[in-house]
Amino acid sequence: MEEKRIGVYVCWCGTNIANLVDVENVSKEIQNLPNVVISKDYKYMCSDPGQDLIVQDIKEHKLNRIVVAACSPRMHEITFRKALENAGLNPYMFEMANIREHNSWVHTNRTEATKKAKDLIAAAVSRVQWHESLEKRTVEVNPATLIIGGGISGISAALEIANADKQVYMLEKSGSIGGLVANIDLTYPYLNSAKQMIDHKIKTVLNHSKIKVYLNAEVKQVTGYVGNFETTIKQKGKETKLSFGNVIVATGLKPFDAKKVKNYGYGKLPNVITSVELEQILKSGLIITRDGRVPHHIAIIHCVGSRNDDYNPYCSRTCCMTALKFVNQIKSALPKANIYDIYSDMRAFGKGCEELYSNTSRKNVMFLTIDHKNNLPQIKQASYDDACNLLIEFTEKFSGESIEVPADIVILMVGMEAHENAKETAHSVGVSMDGNGFYIERHPKLDPVATTTDGVYVVGTCQSPKDIPDSISQARAAAARILATIESGSVNVEVTTAVVNEEACCGCQSCIKVCPYTAISYNEEKKVSFVNEILCKGCGTCGSTCPAGAIKSKHFTDQQILSQIEGLMSLQEVLE
Amino acid sequence: MSQRVNLDLKNELFLYGAKEWNQCFQCGNCTATCHTTENGFFFPRKTVRQVLMGLKKSLQTNIDPWLCTYCGDCSRTCPRDANPAEMMMSIRRYLISVYDWTGISRLLYKSKALEIATILVLALIVMILYLLYTIFPSGDTAQWIGSDGGALINKMAPWKRIHLGDWIMAGGLVLLIITNVFYMWYKIIFEDKSVKVRFIDYFKVLLLFPKVFFPEKKYAKCDEKKLFLYWSLHLFLALSYAMMFTIIVFFLGWFQTDKVLPILHPQRLLGYISTLGLFVGIIYFYTNRTIKNMENSKYSHFTDWTFLILLFLTTLTGILLHFFRIYGMPQLTYITYLIHLMVLVPMLTIEVPFSKWSHMIYRPFSLYFAHLKRMVLLKHTLIMDNSTQQN
Repeated sequence: MEEKRIGVYVCWCGTNIANLVDVENVSKEIQNLPNVVISKDYKYMCSDPGQDLIVQDIKEHKLNRIVVAACSPRMHEITFRKALENAGLNPYMFEMANIREHNSWVHTNRTEATKKAKDLIAAAVSRVQWHESLEKRTVEVNPATLIIGGGISGISAALEIANADKQVYMLEKSGSIGGLVANIDLTYPYLNSAKQMIDHKIKTVLNHSKIKVYLNAEVKQVTGYVGNFETTIKQKGKETKLSFGNVIVATGLKPFDAKKVKNYGYGKLPNVITSVELEQILKSGLIITRDGRVPHHIAIIHCVGSRNDDYNPYCSRTCCMTALKFVNQIKSALPKANIYDIYSDMRAFGKGCEELYSNTSRKNVMFLTIDHKNNLPQIKQASYDDACNLLIEFTEKFSGESIEVPADIVILMVGMEAHENAKETAHSVGVSMDGNGFYIERHPKLDPVATTTDGVYVVGTCQSPKDIPDSISQARAAAARILATIESGSVNVEVTTAVVNEEACCGCQSCIKVCPYTAISYNEEKKVSFVNEILCKGCGTCGSTCPAGAIKSKHFTDQQILSQIEGLMSLQEVLE
Repeated sequence: MSQRVNLDLKNELFLYGAKEWNQCFQCGNCTATCHTTENGFFFPRKTVRQVLMGLKKSLQTNIDPWLCTYCGDCSRTCPRDANPAEMMMSIRRYLISVYDWTGISRLLYKSKALEIATILVLALIVMILYLLYTIFPSGDTAQWIGSDGGALINKMAPWKRIHLGDWIMAGGLVLLIITNVFYMWYKIIFEDKSVKVRFIDYFKVLLLFPKVFFPEKKYAKCDEKKLFLYWSLHLFLALSYAMMFTIIVFFLGWFQTDKVLPILHPQRLLGYISTLGLFVGIIYFYTNRTIKNMENSKYSHFTDWTFLILLFLTTLTGILLHFFRIYGMPQLTYITYLIHLMVLVPMLTIEVPFSKWSHMIYRPFSLYFAHLKRMVLLKHTLIMDNSTQQN
């Protein structure tokens, strides 16, 4: 076995660490640990001179393991691994001790913090001795892309990719593409026609030589990994096999079922309609009640099924402005109609939306507020004397007055929900869902397009309620990411994966049940589990579940973790 | 009992003043910035909401517009320029028309033409009566000059006859305004089922006298510092008016003398002081409304101008009358007296029970009612608080 020569570098991080940790003392004492060849402290290890220091020392002192005590590995682990690579050392021969977030930032006692820093570094030194060289791996990328969902998001992404001359397979559950945008009349805030906007795009998609559209189609299990996915599409009894390198999930939304809110009597009172139904009425161009009369009073109720723990806790983001769009459309169709807008908070966050609200509020519309959580309005049939179809009774929130609003038509602004079969789709492509059934992006801020499964992207309203511009931005972002992947020709895959020791495996298959990435399969012949290293993310769940200790997580071996703990506990003994 | 909302009421209220209330997005800034607001009394937002929702019944029983001091802080800081302060004033005008059971006030507020026509007709009636019941100075005007060089005014318009006319008119107007105040009480106290006022409470609340009748000190808390001058001049004007009114209605015999009294005689001194108060006040308010330098003078309903102009003409003819008399110009005295009455009588007839003048009566009464309601409500909540604590 080669001689282990460890170099330790203690970072000051300016004053961030040095203020509370006696870095000079720490580096001096760490020098005394076994196998530590040199120990230094420096003002900014992450700076170019800091990295050069490591590179020079590796060459000069023939170091083969490096420990940097600085910030969180999330911050700079990659930086230092690269430095090791530059010096010709395997990047996995590196360990980081976090003495900033875990120490100097959260403590106030200098003596104690200094002692803790020593313990953390000792643990890292102890661990790094067991590190092994791991080799980077890449796979080639299939340039085709599967897009699940033919709504505005799917269409936008498809056109972007296909126009770059790459094959797109588009899968649509229904008999036509265009999705919900094809059902709406005008868009807010500029009241442009949705039809004009989407018809052209639908035609282009259907006639595009690089886009193959599968209507009335369902997707079965998607297998494979980034660059090399495969699936079977079911279409009226016909099955088609497809292989592709990336997947875009753009399955869209389902309108909230207004029948669930008993107070509003939807389904029982014929003139209580949803916003989806109103779009149809507006498209037909004639606003009349179910009994064929021109309405005199029209009420709009916001937040139906939204922002209420009994239904959905989240905000659907588009209903407020859609309601204002309705107000404007109804105002121009029926200038004499009285419009009542019953809302709980007017959310006009988008570009041009505040202006829409501002303009609409000058149009003699009555804005009334409700308590959307505890005190929903009650809609009931009006009597003959009321001179209207329906009466909406509630306590107006701002004034506390008990009021009744006359209405001939009540429009319920229904929110967005995930599809009932969102879970099945999630399972077949390998994305996770949040509590509301929306797909989870890799990072809520830094990566809102990709998912934790490489090569699978979520766009549009299946990821969260959003409006058309946001959906298109997300779709095109995903397309750009995919094109970049295709262009590079190959992708790096995770190195710190799990491996099964076939000798020790008892074939209990516990690991298969817990694997969140469906990376483990069972080899019937050998009666052992097998890890697909391309799908594996190295989360370690299988390793900790395996009753036989047969699964080793690379870079997180038992040996490494145990010696890390030993190092953490035994510093004083070693030094004394 | 829930009230039906009404989009049209807002349109009716437009006739009483400012226009753009649709802009309100119910942020509540007006209440936050208002110095008249107290905990639990949402002022003036509550009124704004009632207007926007068109809750006629709530609005008619609302007392808040009378409590507003119109310092303008809410309008100045309104993020949507919805003018809550001017809305309060518009609602005051509306409420004046609500309290007036005859319905005349409503007609006058809504129609400028009708208001002017009424003034002209009343002036004509006064002219006819004056010509019938007074004596025109003959061509030989020497006999209308007194020994001290002043015109003998009582020979032309005997004060007893004028006094009689005064009393007839005052009687009618007082009757109207008292019945209006009674109707106001009916709307504000009686129709509001949330407060049960006992007979004794009407006297108990009088113990809060200074708070009830001198609420203007609240101006001091407002951001607009020019208001001190405004308030002082308003007080000076109101006191001068009251003094002149008292003198003419109750002491006309003492005031309207043929003999020109020495300049420092109380008769002349009081006359000069109150005339000064009226004149300075009118000029000040007229200027404010013209140059619109303060929130409370930015918007003027035509009835605001009518009151100011009529009051100005009354004061001006009063001053002229005085000088024509003491410098012995009988014919001019006679004619000026006629014009004075032709302005004064329509002003009082229109303004006292039906228009702006009535705030002189309604405001103290509303403060009285407001404190009464508040006292009863606070006692009520105090009892509720105690009982919840015991539970």
